[in-house]
Parts: sequence; structure tokens; C-alpha cells
Amino acid sequence: MSDKVSSLIDITERDESVDDMWGGFRQIERIRLELSQRYYYSLGRQSRFFIELANQRFFASACDGCEKVYAPPRPLCPACLRPCDWRELSGEGSLETWSALYFSPGTNADVAALEPPYVLAYALLDGADTLFPHLLRAEAASLQRGMRLRVAYNEGPVSHPIHLMYFAPA
Amino acid sequence: MSSLPVIAAVGCTKIASEHRDCNARDLLADALLDMLADAGMAGLDAVEHGLASYESDHFNMQMTMGAILHDSIGMMPKPGLRVEGGGATGALALRTAWAHIQSGLCDSILVYGVEKNGRGLSSRTANQLFALSADVDWETAIGGTYTGFYAAMMRAHMAKYGTREEQFAHVAARNRGNAAFNPIAQRPMDISIDDVLRSCPVAEPYKLLDCSLLSDGAACILLASEAWARAHVPAYQSRPAVYFTGTGCGTDTMRLGDRYPHITNFRAKQQAAQAAYAMAGIRDPLRELDVAEVYDSYSGVEIQAVEDLGWVAQGAGGQAVAAGAFDLDGALPVNPSGGLLGRGAPVGATGILQALEIAQQLWGVADARRQVNNAKRGLTDTHAGIASISVVNIFERRD
Repeated sequence: MSDKVSSLIDITERDESVDDMWGGFRQIERIRLELSQRYYYSLGRQSRFFIELANQRFFASACDGCEKVYAPPRPLCPACLRPCDWRELSGEGSLETWSALYFSPGTNADVAALEPPYVLAYALLDGADTLFPHLLRAEAASLQRGMRLRVAYNEGPVSHPIHLMYFAPA
Repeated sequence: MSSLPVIAAVGCTKIASEHRDCNARDLLADALLDMLADAGMAGLDAVEHGLASYESDHFNMQMTMGAILHDSIGMMPKPGLRVEGGGATGALALRTAWAHIQSGLCDSILVYGVEKNGRGLSSRTANQLFALSADVDWETAIGGTYTGFYAAMMRAHMAKYGTREEQFAHVAARNRGNAAFNPIAQRPMDISIDDVLRSCPVAEPYKLLDCSLLSDGAACILLASEAWARAHVPAYQSRPAVYFTGTGCGTDTMRLGDRYPHITNFRAKQQAAQAAYAMAGIRDPLRELDVAEVYDSYSGVEIQAVEDLGWVAQGAGGQAVAAGAFDLDGALPVNPSGGLLGRGAPVGATGILQALEIAQQLWGVADARRQVNNAKRGLTDTHAGIASISVVNIFERRD
């Protein structure tokens, strides 16, 4: 489970002035534990989306039954419970809503490298019926709802294939 | 055999940014002993069922913690289970317990929630773990955070309805002020709307004081049939009966973008509220409810909630909140406990703490400075994620 031995951080005493029933349990030991996890993680039936990003192509999925276009793609249409088809979009769209984030969760190396504030944007891509979330490389103060955006690509290497793309002002 | 459950007893720890001297088992022990004192009971011999409520296996570095908690309070060999539903965990646990009593599966069930979300992990690790509760393929991987998702939603609400930052700052200041009247509260503060507006940005338009707390804490509620409570809980006869009269649950897509064009409000909450009102026989909630604990994970969420719970029209929440409609002396006092912003939010215990506050309000035993006069009906509103799961529970005093 742990690839390091646990190490003692400190032993403290509970406040003796507190007259409670736990007087025999005043010494508290705290230790450091490390747990690192490695996943061999399948992107499953969403995979083609990520594979095509390396070819600088943006794919959504479309349902034959209800004609809804999903971006991000869904392999299964949740409304019709039937498989969707892949559909390529131009990658152009408009900004619907956003937030400038001042703290990075450091989720992966690409996220850890972001300089706050960075912009989390929701774009309505032309031809899609849902909003696609991604980073928008633009000054937060310059943003306006409805402004035109485009999917931009980079070569990598990246820590997660979703970072082969980002949004940029059109 | 169906029987509407009553709240037979409640107990909790103080809520804190860290209980350094307690692990999850210790917190549960303290909450349970508090509940037994409230009940006037010597032990749990008569209690038939256990139900563990906690969110995170990661924060405790322990899977199957429900079994360990059940063991630690001597519930063996009685039946037990664990319920998990993100931020809604505690409320979903109570709803599950409601069904256990109503179905006749048991006549008494101890619901215990506990979380160590405070400073037991480095903040970097804690942030990474919380990010795993978003869609890891599409939201977590790009650096999205819940503060960011909520903030993007609030920006859409502001754009559509003209909601203003000082309106949600009102919630942040009021709830932290209410917390000053709650002895278990983590972070009571006497702050102004300007203090909130001047606090550092976290995810625009949300600033530090718009954000709720990470907490350590535990809470217990003993739910039972009325007959069981009368037979086994000495304190039951000495106070008004509080019935659990309605419970509703609704869901929505995990990702905000999939809800387009409905990205300003919580559809799951609307669904949960309507179901709970129908069950509790409530037609005009603003008039028929006397007190409510609303899920204020961020200050603006309370504005969205008062709309989705049907108390004001869609888009009218900001004005109503700023006019004081939900202050302690308003039409419907909201978050007298201080809410997630002021009392704190140990996730698995949060929904239980909300119900505990409502029980104390309906019993009339809250601190006089936050006690709502002659409160007869109360509501709790609790959700997971950006309300991918929403639970509304309703309690009523019957003298």
C-alpha cells in the first residue's frame, strides 16, 4: 500500500484544562503516510475523440434517433439508449459562460503548469447541443458572452490527451 | 406496519477545521455519546439497525469504513449499511433510513455521519481528491474545480437575471453571523458585505468568503417509529414529536455543459422539492415552512436554491435575499445554524447536521438568539456536485 515507511510527525498533549471523560487519552500521535496510485486507465468508447485530437480534428457524437449532438461525445445516447455516430465539428463556437480560477488543483502536469488566474470556459460549438468545457487562453477581463472561440491544438507531449486542445479567441 | 418516522434523538461533535486528537471513530464516539445524553438512553441495545454516512474513502485512507464505524459502537450483529451520495450523503442517508422505517424493515435506525475533511491531508492532496468528484475524463483532467463550475453557473445566473455580487455576499455575511449563535459552529464571523466583496478571488465571481468550509465533525440521528420512540427513548415524552413527513430526491447530468440551455439553476433541486412537498402535503412552501437549512456550499447557491425550492420566482432570488427575506427575522429564516459557510461542512455529516438543526428548532431548544419562534415545519436542502443529486427532507412538529 505504502511505498515509504510511515514517519512520526509529532506527539501532542490534549489541553489538560479541558476536564472531559478522555483524560486517559491525552497523548495524540500523528504520522505521515504516503499512498501513490498508478492507473492503466481506459478511455473506453470515448477514445476516438482523444485519438483524433492528435490529428487536429474535433469529433462530437450524434444520435440518429433524437438528432442530439453531444460534445463531449457520448457513446450511448442517454435519451434513446442507442449507440451514437461520430460527427466531426469545425471546432468553432461561442463562449457561453466561464470563470477565472485563481487556484490550480494540480490535477496533472499540464494543470499544475497553469499560471493563475486561468480561464475555465464553456463553449457552444457550432453544430453541438451541449456546452464543452475547456481552458480558454485569453485574458479574463477581455471575455464577453457570445464571443467567438475556436478549438486550438498543440503537439504535446501532454499528461492527458485532453490537453492536445484548448480554446482560443477566434 | 408502515409508520411515519420521528426524530427520536440527535447528537454531534463541535465542527472544526481539525479535530487533531480524533480520528473518524473518535468523532463518531463523541457524537454518539452526545446523542445518548440527548435521548436519556444508557446504550444502543434496543436500536435495531445502523446506517453509516460518509463521503470519502480517500480522506480516511480506509475502505469499508462503514463496517469499522458500526463495529466501533458495538452494533454487531445487527444489520448495517453505508450510504454515499457526494455532498448529499447525509440527507440521502436520512432518506434511506426513512424508507427502512416506512417499509417496516425496522422500527429504529441509527444514522451516523462522520468526515475528516479538515487538515488531515496536505491541501494539494485534498484538492486533487476533491477534483476526482467531478467527471475525471472531461472536467478534472482540464483543471476544473467545483468552485469553478459553481462560479460559471453563477455567472450565467447573473447574465440572465441581473443577480449581483453584493446579493450573494449578503448570504456569506448573514450565515457566518448566524453561526455566532450556534455553539457547535466552526467559523462564526462578524463581517460586512464589503468584507466579502474585498476578500481574495478564488474563482470569479466567487471570493474567499463566498466559499464554504472544509471540516472535521460527526453527527447522529436516531430515527424510529413513534411507538418505538415512546417505548425506548426517555427524552421522547418530554418534548414535542418531530415527524419526518416528506423526502424528495432529484438528479441531473454530472457536467454543467450537458444541461444547456438550463445552466442557471438546479433542476434536480426543483424535482426533489416538489416530491417532498407533495409527500408532506405542502402547497405553499414559503408560507407553510417556518425554518430551513439550505445547502450554501457557495453563497450564490443559496440564491439559486430559494428559487428552485419554489419560494420565489426564477431569477428573483438575489433581490429577495438582499431584502432580508431569509434572515433570522425574515419571512422564512434560512440557515440559522450558520450553514455550510458558518457552521461548517463535514460532508457525510452535513445533511444530518442540517436535520439536527431543524429538530432543535422544532423542539424549541436552539440558542434563543437563533431560535425561530414557534417553528412547526422545517426543511433541509442538500446536494451533491452541482446538484447532480439533490435531496429535500421535511420535518414537522406535532404537539
